Amino acid sequence: MSFREKSAWISFLSILGVFIPFFWNSYRQFSGQVDGPTALSVAVWLLVAFVVLEIVLHAAVAMQAPSDARSPRDERERLIEMRATRVAFQVLVVGALAGVATIHFTRSAWAIQQVVLLAIVLAELVKFGGQIVLYRRDA
Amino acid sequence: MACAIRNRIRDLRAARGDMTQQALADRIGVTRQTVNAIELGKYSPSLEVAFRIAAVFGVHIDDVFQFDPEV
Repeated sequence: MSFREKSAWISFLSILGVFIPFFWNSYRQFSGQVDGPTALSVAVWLLVAFVVLEIVLHAAVAMQAPSDARSPRDERERLIEMRATRVAFQVLVVGALAGVATIHFTRSAWAIQQVVLLAIVLAELVKFGGQIVLYRRDA
Repeated sequence: MACAIRNRIRDLRAARGDMTQQALADRIGVTRQTVNAIELGKYSPSLEVAFRIAAVFGVHIDDVFQFDPEV
């Protein structure tokens, strides 16, 4: 498995591992199970955990194959990235429109922010998931 | 999915004393996985990479790649 594919797996699983609890936390705040400051602190810690996870796991994988990690993306890797990003962009557009539609259901800026954030996270999942599928298909 | 472009990279590598995919990849500036995908017909390389592969083996590009219009 190439460094880029491992990197896509790391990002995909990190996003899943962090943002499922993140949105669960948001739901609990929305439904009044936790207060705002507590939910905010959980959200901040989850985001910090996400950054740390990405850095540590990427560093660990890069140390296993330093030359692979240092080498620039080749044409096939760039193509895979472009294809996955193109699909992810469509997801982002639909999510952004859902964010706009949210205005008709609630005036809460927080709720709209959560929908937009969810759209970004879903787009990232589609991007990295798409890369994994394309890498696996060619393997 | 069938690919319209066939290639003889595996044969040419074998003829060069079992040159590894990694050795070929290093010489043409792509990853080993990309060489493997090209060999298996799962990825059609750019013209530039195709010329580089031919240059490594010292043959013409159509000795490495053949287009099959029937596919």
